[in-house]
Amino acid sequence: MGEPSKAKSIFNAIRKNKMTNIFLVFLFLIIIASIFSPYFMTAYNIRSQAREFAFLGIVALGQACILLLGEIDLTVGTTSALCGVIAGIFMVRTNFNPFIIFILILILGAFIGFINGALVTGLRLNSLVVTIGMVGILNGVNLTITKGQAVLNIPESIYFLGKGSLGPLPMPFVIMIVVLVVVMIIVKLTRLGRYMYAIGNNRETAKILGLPVTPVRIFAFSFAGMLYALAGLIMIARLGTAQPSIGSEWALNSIAAGVIGGISLVGGIGNPLGAIIGVAIIIVIQNIIVLFGVSPYLQTAVSGIVVVAAISFDSITNMVSQRKKRLTKLD
Amino acid sequence: MENQKVLVLENITKVYPGVVALKNVSIDFEKGKVHCLMGENGAGKSTIARILTGLRIPDEGKVYIDGVDAVKDKRAYQKVAYVPQELDLFGSMTVAENLFMPFGKSGSKSMFVNNRDLNKRAIPFLEKFQITANPSDIVEDISVSEQQLLQIARAIVFQESEIVMLDEPTTSLGLQDVERLFKVIHELKKDNKAVIFVSHKIEEIFTIGDEITVLSNGEKVAHSKIEDTNIQQVMQQMTGRDIDLTLTFYPEKISDEIVLEVENLCGERFADVSFKLRKGEILGFAGLVGAGRSEIAQTIYGYLAAAKGKVKLYNRNYRLGNVSKSVKSGIVYLPEERRSQGIFSILSVKENITLPLLKQIIGEFTFAAKKETTIANQVVKEYDIKTPSLNKEIQFLSGGNQQKVIIGRSMLGKPKIIIFDEPTKGIDVGAKLEIYKLMKKLADNGVSIIVISSELEELFKCANRVISIYKGRKVEEFETSESGIKDIMHSILGLSKNKS
Repeated sequence: MGEPSKAKSIFNAIRKNKMTNIFLVFLFLIIIASIFSPYFMTAYNIRSQAREFAFLGIVALGQACILLLGEIDLTVGTTSALCGVIAGIFMVRTNFNPFIIFILILILGAFIGFINGALVTGLRLNSLVVTIGMVGILNGVNLTITKGQAVLNIPESIYFLGKGSLGPLPMPFVIMIVVLVVVMIIVKLTRLGRYMYAIGNNRETAKILGLPVTPVRIFAFSFAGMLYALAGLIMIARLGTAQPSIGSEWALNSIAAGVIGGISLVGGIGNPLGAIIGVAIIIVIQNIIVLFGVSPYLQTAVSGIVVVAAISFDSITNMVSQRKKRLTKLD
Repeated sequence: MENQKVLVLENITKVYPGVVALKNVSIDFEKGKVHCLMGENGAGKSTIARILTGLRIPDEGKVYIDGVDAVKDKRAYQKVAYVPQELDLFGSMTVAENLFMPFGKSGSKSMFVNNRDLNKRAIPFLEKFQITANPSDIVEDISVSEQQLLQIARAIVFQESEIVMLDEPTTSLGLQDVERLFKVIHELKKDNKAVIFVSHKIEEIFTIGDEITVLSNGEKVAHSKIEDTNIQQVMQQMTGRDIDLTLTFYPEKISDEIVLEVENLCGERFADVSFKLRKGEILGFAGLVGAGRSEIAQTIYGYLAAAKGKVKLYNRNYRLGNVSKSVKSGIVYLPEERRSQGIFSILSVKENITLPLLKQIIGEFTFAAKKETTIANQVVKEYDIKTPSLNKEIQFLSGGNQQKVIIGRSMLGKPKIIIFDEPTKGIDVGAKLEIYKLMKKLADNGVSIIVISSELEELFKCANRVISIYKGRKVEEFETSESGIKDIMHSILGLSKNKS
């Protein structure tokens, strides 16, 4: 076979790939935004959006790992916020090197995730219910510690993680890319990743085969918890203060991003890269709403409509292509 | 005179991507007759089921139901009641609720559902279908066979169905329950319904059938009255080759070395089970569905918790309760429920093969993709698995091929003891023999095998010894070469004189 057929097969693979549709939606939104708003394509806007992108991106990657297993995690923003304020308090009140605190807080995030995972696996509880409860607990601890006040005077030595840039790229965005690469390697290349897909697809079979079902599920929750903590830490580096209320919309947005990106809520199907494209769509939509001057009261409604529309678009193209397949078989 | 041909398939052709599922098939079904459909997996039986129920429209040909062209007038499909092989009842609702769902069909126009009324009205139907459960029982709590009968009852009750299609209805039924089902089928015949009976169990077809149509590779290869044919002939028509029914597959040479010794094992739904398994031996577990056979096996495997009892593996004490440890110690359990416990439906054939072995195939962290493909290829070749590609999702393979994937991948770990739980459930005759041969080959190579089966012939063909189990207790042990099938049957029915 010659080159053209190979090129064609690659083209076909791209066309069939589930993420292509979603990526087209993303491009469409960008074109709309660039045409109708002169500010959208400015370097300033893109850089600040990339920064926003990074936070939701990091937590969405954690959520993606959990969705792949057929579970769901609502502690996303709450874990970030709690880890952020605890980090802030330690950095301000103790003489420890902020970077050591940074590492310890990542471990704390993983530990919170571990508790989620242990409850879900050990007591065979539903993850939705467990994490609803955990949201309440984490929030309560957060408010008790902070009394709702921000922690001020975060040491400037960590600012570069939130405010700095690497070349033209904002630092949080760079960190998100690193996390994306790590998650993709875990999920797509390692044994662990393959087990995740298997367990998400059929936990009974996995158990009967002797796969380490419980450790993998606990790992996913812990790893996700660590990513939530990371997002919280970068957030305090960016704001220079530790706000107790960050990330209140991350839980739902990270799930929406995963679903938009083609990750099945029943588990076993999807790709973390899809979640990142999902995040991109959500961020662009929010940006468009602001740039177009939509009333702030309407903003959540508009973003809700667009999320539903994006998912529907994917579903509709699927139905159309399946129908086409059926028709072509008739001749 | 009334037209007896209530359902006519005329020159049906149906093409799926890559395969011709049915090729120019014509079949007539008559009222008051039991018409059996036979064929290996992939012969086109399920495609016929889909076409009869209107789930699929044939690419060519006509479907006449009671003289109406069903493709044009979809209402005609309502006359066909289809009872699927798998149970799909609402498990946590009552028998009566299941029977009358959706409630509109019960004749009640009211928006409210009156349970007492439903229960009362359910009674005559339960009697008719020989269901002994109370209308108010929760479906999950009644026996599997009752559920099966309930499913049939539900399909027939309120539809003006003239045609009843039963898809492998006896798969999970014990002997007595099959008889009960056959009585129900006789009732249906008396009501002048056309019954379409799909089964792999050829003896059953000769007991209950009036007519038989044999399909092979999407084509109709034979049709005749049941009295004009015989088992041997039908088997040959199905597989295209002669099959010797008297073949046996048990290993001749067995060493005296004992690999597994179970003493007074108790667990969920069974108690005080003791037996020994020798190297290179095939040991059969006979018993009715629900007698506790699978539970014993799953407890030894570590999937279910043991209550008490001692197990010695390779002459050393062995602590039960950990599947991973069992796998490492060389025990493998091949589950009865392939779809829910055996395969990863949406993963590829390749992934299904290599999953349990990833540790050996790859290092701790990354994949050696090439090696993985090579190994998967070897398994596909060695076990003669028919799949269009390694990357095909396994759910699209036939039951026999899925089973071969499961067996093949289990062999990769070089197990010493294999437990086959109903290895040929839902598998056609030709593929069954292949699986028997495979078991014998393994045993000849020194692997010890436990086979759990509801088909006594199967155990007689394959096992050196058979243990009969009745209500969670071991009744007797038989050497298959020295016993008759009747003795074992008595034993598993609890009719045995010398209970040990």
